[in-house]
Amino acid sequence: MDGNLSNKAKIIFHVDMNSFYASVEMASDATLKGKPVAIAGNVEERRGIIVTCSYEAREFGVKTTMPVWQAKKLCPHLIVKQPNFELYRKASKAMFQLLRGYTDLVEPVSIDEGYMDMTHALSEHPLHIANMIQEQLLRELDLPCSIGIAPNKFLAKMASDMKKPLGITILRKREIPTILWPMPVHEMHGVGKKTAEKLQTIGVVTIGDLASTNELQLKSLLGINGIRLKERANGIDTRPVDPESIHDYKSIGNSTTLPKDTTIQQDLLETLLSLSKTVSARLKNKNVYATNLAITIRYKDRSTYSRSEKLANPMQTEKDIYEQAKRLFIKHWNGNPVRLLGVTGNDLVEQDHAFKQLDIFTYEKDAKEEPLIKTMEKLRDKFGKDIIVKGWNNYHKEGQTDTGFNKDFLRREDE
Amino acid sequence: MMKFYIQKERLIKSVQDVMKAVASRTTIPILVGIKIDATEEGVAFTGSDSDISIKSFIPKEEDDLEIVDIVETGSIVLQARFFGEIVKKLPEAIVEIVVEDQFKTIIRSGNAEFVIHGLDAEEYPRLPQIEEEKSYTMPTDLLKTLIKQTVFAVSTSETRPILTGVNWTFANNELTAVATDSHRLALKKAPLQSNIENNSVYNIVIPGKSLNELTKVLEDSNEPIQFVVTENQILFKAKNLLFFSRLLEGKYPDTSKLVPTESNTDVKLNSKDFLQAVDRASLLAREGKNNVIKFSTLEAGTIEISSYTPEIGKVVEKVKSLAMDGEEIKISFSAKYMMDALRAIDGTEVTIYFTGAMRPFIIKSNVDESILQLLLPVRTF
Repeated sequence: MDGNLSNKAKIIFHVDMNSFYASVEMASDATLKGKPVAIAGNVEERRGIIVTCSYEAREFGVKTTMPVWQAKKLCPHLIVKQPNFELYRKASKAMFQLLRGYTDLVEPVSIDEGYMDMTHALSEHPLHIANMIQEQLLRELDLPCSIGIAPNKFLAKMASDMKKPLGITILRKREIPTILWPMPVHEMHGVGKKTAEKLQTIGVVTIGDLASTNELQLKSLLGINGIRLKERANGIDTRPVDPESIHDYKSIGNSTTLPKDTTIQQDLLETLLSLSKTVSARLKNKNVYATNLAITIRYKDRSTYSRSEKLANPMQTEKDIYEQAKRLFIKHWNGNPVRLLGVTGNDLVEQDHAFKQLDIFTYEKDAKEEPLIKTMEKLRDKFGKDIIVKGWNNYHKEGQTDTGFNKDFLRREDE
Repeated sequence: MMKFYIQKERLIKSVQDVMKAVASRTTIPILVGIKIDATEEGVAFTGSDSDISIKSFIPKEEDDLEIVDIVETGSIVLQARFFGEIVKKLPEAIVEIVVEDQFKTIIRSGNAEFVIHGLDAEEYPRLPQIEEEKSYTMPTDLLKTLIKQTVFAVSTSETRPILTGVNWTFANNELTAVATDSHRLALKKAPLQSNIENNSVYNIVIPGKSLNELTKVLEDSNEPIQFVVTENQILFKAKNLLFFSRLLEGKYPDTSKLVPTESNTDVKLNSKDFLQAVDRASLLAREGKNNVIKFSTLEAGTIEISSYTPEIGKVVEKVKSLAMDGEEIKISFSAKYMMDALRAIDGTEVTIYFTGAMRPFIIKSNVDESILQLLLPVRTF
């Protein structure tokens, strides 16, 4: 450290609530305490999927995204509850409010986790403050959390994951080689199953391997994200804690470098299809729709073109995205060998405000769904709006822990 | 070479009319100009962007008043942009236009004198030669109404180019105009006279842009206007005005089966009150992104119009219907499309016929059977 104030190392906390939904249920109903509790998202229990469960349930091997029937097999006494989002939202709101008592720089990431920039808000040793936060959350809200303390967001996130429940972990830059590097790469925040598999193909198994991998190799394997991951593996993350960030998912995209430059249209279209699949999954994950779609084409000579089009209707499904991406591609591809393709959804809108202007030549498709929608509306009127969501949101998990309801929640919080 | 004196007001009007066809950018360079032809009968001005061509004629005399004094006949093409600006700003009521050597053109009025370089009129493309084989007439103001009640519904997107035009079907001395951008449809029928047999059915697609320009240059009058249709052109002939438009090629989709013939919910409303309520409800709906409002029937013949925009707020308004019949309905639709439709229907009372929340619904005037507006609802999630 050179003593220059602006260059002063930051102190970032990552506060991660422990099995949040289950903890909230326990806090509101003392009889659940110490028991294996799971929250499942389906009214029909046997087909439902575990959204979260208490540590008592985890001891039996119950895990998130496990079907209820399987969980019951492992833990016959498991108490399965339906989610009560009103309750979780309230608890989350109170939780973030409490955190804001320590600093204004609180960035909610989802319903149950957030970053705090404590650099200029420390009166005492960070460990001591973290203890105070943890105790206050437990005392006032009866909710357990783990806190990671580090010089940046990535390391803080990694740190909070290390001790659960009720852990406090400091991860210093100098500890990166001893603590971070021996960890398997799939445990790294930002590395999903697919990315880990890809990394395996070039012999990257631990975070340490990633930290020392050749940048060109990473770039050709994972694109620009590869460079970012390598930086993270070396403990570099310059993202600021931004209290407003939850409000702007500006775009969601995915791109890939082709195994070799090609002019074969069918291969290119297949690549677009697989990119559309990922983009669709990510949009679904965040409960947002794209109102503008862009494609990126990079040719053999490295010249890169992005072409976007405003959509008549916000879209989210793989089919819609692929059809639009294909149309754009065919319109703009000049026939030269393609090195890289990308699909990006821009100008995202939230699910609640997505709509589809029906078309006189195709409306029959939607009209067929009308009886189903009427039933859903009736249920919502009767039981509240989150009682039923068409298609299970969390089905589309891909390298992130966000649950589908979180964004919705965070928006409401500010109303 | 060419020389005439002309009344400035008439000159301005003609130049403004033909300017509507002049393209700012064009692949045929001479089309940035206005062609002037001075003949023994008067002066003609022509503008064209090759899709639309407009020719405006100023006769030597009208109602025994001299408008133009032709000294020497001839032709010239002048840059439309400059010529249009110049004539508007000339100081006196009489303008003198003289062409000298090398297309040098002098425009004089009072003490002002402009010298501009013209282009050779021989280079200017000839207007389409139209044989009068299929010819129709109807009153000018009826034609204007028919256009205004349909043209707003054409598509502005080039995804299906044929939908950027209005489909005109001639049958049994009746003209049916249909426009749809696939989200709404406007239909209007009007009687017309024809020089061809009653039973021959004929249909053409006219670019929406052409019809918009046509309504701007046609006078409001009940004088008959004649139009002549060929394979790929339509020519409108009004007094002292020729308006040519290219026709769109391709088959217009069959829309006759798309209009529902039965309904489950009929709501009769005061058109003006309803329009204003829709307008208010759309105030908060996001511009462009989501201009969607919700329409719900309530008890006792009341309807509710509402809209909700998260960052801004919500609006709810109850409107008393004049009559209500059938099942209850909750339906969302574009406020803009509804307002366009209500404005097109000129009547104090309208009835909306719904068949379901995901199905097209129609809006009709209670006094005018010749017009129909159809809207597709918006599906919300």
